[in-house]
Amino acid sequence: MNRQNVRIALQGIAGNRLRSALTMLGIMIGVGSVILLVAVGNGSAVSIQNSIDSLGTNTLTVFAGGGFFGPGGHSAGTQSQQVTLTAKDVRNLSKSYNAPDLSALSPVDSDGGVTASHDGSTWTASSFEGVYPSYASIENEQLRAGQFISEADLADHAKVVVLGTTAVKSLFGSASDNPIGAQVNFSGTTFTVIGILKSKGSSSIERLDTTALIPATTMQDHYTGTSGGYSEIVASSTSPTTVDAAKSEITSTLASDHDLTTSTASNDFTVESASTLISASTSSSHTFTVLLGAVAAISLLVGGIGVMNIMLVTVTERTREIGIRKAIGARRSDILGQFLVEAVLLSVLGGVLGIGAGIIGSTFKIVGVQPVIALYSVFLAFGFAVLIGLFFGIYPANRAATLRPIDALRYE
Amino acid sequence: MRSALSAMRRAVDRTAPEQASAQGSAALARPAAVIQVQHVTKTYALGDVAVHALRGIGLTVQRGEYVAIIGASGSGKSTLMHIIGCLDLPTSGRYLLDGIDVAAMSEDELSDVRNRKIGFVFQSFNLIPRTSALQNVELPLVYGGIRSTTERQHRAERALAMVGLGDRLDHQPNELSGGQQQRVAIARALVTNPSIVLADEPTGALDSAATVELLDIFDRLHQSGRTVILITHEADVAARAHRVIRLMDGQIISDDAREGDSSGSRVPATAGKSQP
Repeated sequence: MNRQNVRIALQGIAGNRLRSALTMLGIMIGVGSVILLVAVGNGSAVSIQNSIDSLGTNTLTVFAGGGFFGPGGHSAGTQSQQVTLTAKDVRNLSKSYNAPDLSALSPVDSDGGVTASHDGSTWTASSFEGVYPSYASIENEQLRAGQFISEADLADHAKVVVLGTTAVKSLFGSASDNPIGAQVNFSGTTFTVIGILKSKGSSSIERLDTTALIPATTMQDHYTGTSGGYSEIVASSTSPTTVDAAKSEITSTLASDHDLTTSTASNDFTVESASTLISASTSSSHTFTVLLGAVAAISLLVGGIGVMNIMLVTVTERTREIGIRKAIGARRSDILGQFLVEAVLLSVLGGVLGIGAGIIGSTFKIVGVQPVIALYSVFLAFGFAVLIGLFFGIYPANRAATLRPIDALRYE
Repeated sequence: MRSALSAMRRAVDRTAPEQASAQGSAALARPAAVIQVQHVTKTYALGDVAVHALRGIGLTVQRGEYVAIIGASGSGKSTLMHIIGCLDLPTSGRYLLDGIDVAAMSEDELSDVRNRKIGFVFQSFNLIPRTSALQNVELPLVYGGIRSTTERQHRAERALAMVGLGDRLDHQPNELSGGQQQRVAIARALVTNPSIVLADEPTGALDSAATVELLDIFDRLHQSGRTVILITHEADVAARAHRVIRLMDGQIISDDAREGDSSGSRVPATAGKSQP
C-alpha cells in the first residue's frame, strides 16, 4: 500500500464531504452500538457479580426439596411437602467431625403470611424468619442501629425482632427511622425491635430489605412448632476455596442422616453455593450480552452495505477519472488500491468515531445499568469494521480496476 | 500493492535512452519505424448494428515525424488514435509499437507503455478535478514508480515551466483557462519524457490565440526529436505538420508529405479535398 494511494483516497473522501460523512456515520453507529450494547450486557453481569459477592462467596444454602436450580425447582418437587431439614440436621452439621470445612451455620425457619402491625400501620411480612445469631455473619448482614439476635435471645426464646428497612418504612412511616425498643405485633404476638438491618439495595438478589428476623427458638414456639422442619439452612465455609468441600460434607452428612444415597438425595434437599449462583448468572448474562452484540453487529453490517453502495456510486461517478488515470499509465492494481483504500479509510474513520461514541455513551446509565466497556468488544468492532470496508470495497474497486481505458474515457 | 521489483524495472527502463535521434537510430538494432499499423480494422457493436470504424488501415510513422491526421467526424481518426495510443486494441490486423506487437502485451504492460512511451493530450483536457496542476502533472510519475516526492515535484515543476505555467502550480483545473488547462495536460503528457506525443484535437476547445501558443509548443516538441501525431479538422493546425494523412470512412484516402520530410511511402496530395 503506498502513501500516494492514501493521499488520492483522502482527496476522494474530502471531495464529497457530506456523502463521506453519512457513510462514516453508518459505520460509526454500528461500531458504537456494538461497543455500547456489549458494555450494557457486561455492566449488568458485573452488577450481578457484585451482589453475589456481597452475599459472600463462601456462603452455602441448603434447601428442603429440589433447589432453585436443581431438579423439580424450589418447593415444587413431591418431596418438598415433607419435613426434610430438622433440628437434628443442624446439630449434626455443627459437629466439626461431620463438616470440618463449615465455619458457621444457621437454620432459616420461615413462616409466610404473617401480618405485622404497629400503632395502626400493618405490613405483610413476606420474609418472616427464625434464625441463629450466626445468620448475620453468614449472610453478610450489617446493622444500621441496635444489635442482632444474641445467643441469650436464642436460649431465652426471647420475643425480639430485627427489621429490614422496608419493614421499618411500612410500620413506622419512614425508612430512616430507628425505632429501637418499639413494640411490633406479629399475628398476635408482640415483639421488641432490637436492631435495624442496613439496606442492601434493590439489586441484591436474595435477601431483600423486606426481612424480619427473630430467634429460631421463638419462631418454633409461636408459629411453626417444634415438630416442623426448616425450609433452609444457611452456612458458610471456612474460606472461599473450601466451598466445594463444605458442599460435599453437607451432602454426605445429610444423606446419611436421612438414609439416602448421594444420588437420591437431590430430591430430598439441595445444596447451593454462591458459585452455583455465579455460574447460573454468568451464563444468563453471557447470553444477554451475545444477543445485544448480535443486534448491534447487524447494524454494523448495514453500515458496511452503505460503504459498498457509496463506493459503487463513486466508481460510476468517477469512471472518466479512472479512464484518465489508466490513459496516463495507472495499472489495474493502482486503481484497485485507490478505491480499496478509500473504502477502508471510510470504515476506519467511521470505526474510530464509533469507538469514541461508544466510550462516551458508556458513561451514561442505560435502563438502570452502568455499562462497563469490554475491551474485546472495542477491538472486535473495530476489526470487524475494517474487514467490512475491505469486503464491501473489493467489489466496487475491482469493477473500477477492470474497466477498459477507452470505455472509461468515453463514459459520459 | 505493486512489487518493488516491477517499480525498479520501470525506473531502469525509463532511464535507458528512450530515443536516439532519427539519424542515429538507423545504426541501432531497433527498427526505425516507431509506429507500424498493418491492415488494421476496428468494428464496434452498436446494439445489433456492427459499425466499421476502421476498414484496413496501413500506416508507418518514422521516429521524429510530425504527422497530422485529418478527416470528418466519423471518419475513424479518433479510433485510429486510440489504437496508436494503446487505449484500444484492433479487431484485426497488427499494430507494432517500436517493433513490438501490442496484441501480445498484458494489460499491465500496456499501462506501462502508455506511461513511458506515449504522452496523450485530449480535446477535453481530461485533468483530474479538484487536484492541483502540479499533482496532475506528478501523477504519471506516481504510476511510473518514482518514489521520491522531491524528484516527482521537481520534474513536474520543470514540465510545467516548459509549457509556461511555472507560476500556476497550485491552481486547480477549474481555476485555469482552457488554454492553461490544455498546457497542464501537455505538461502531464511530457513529464515522463515519452518519445511519442499523441494529441486528439488538442485545439478543438481553444480560441485562436491559445491555439497558436499550443501549436508553438508542439513545434518545439517536434524540434526536440519527439514523434508528434495530432488529430485535427482545422487546416491551419494541419499546416504545421510535415505530413498530413486524410481519413474517410475508416480508410486513408491521402498521405501527403511536405517540406522534404522524407520517410515512408507517399500518396500525392489531393488538392481541394480539405475539410469543408
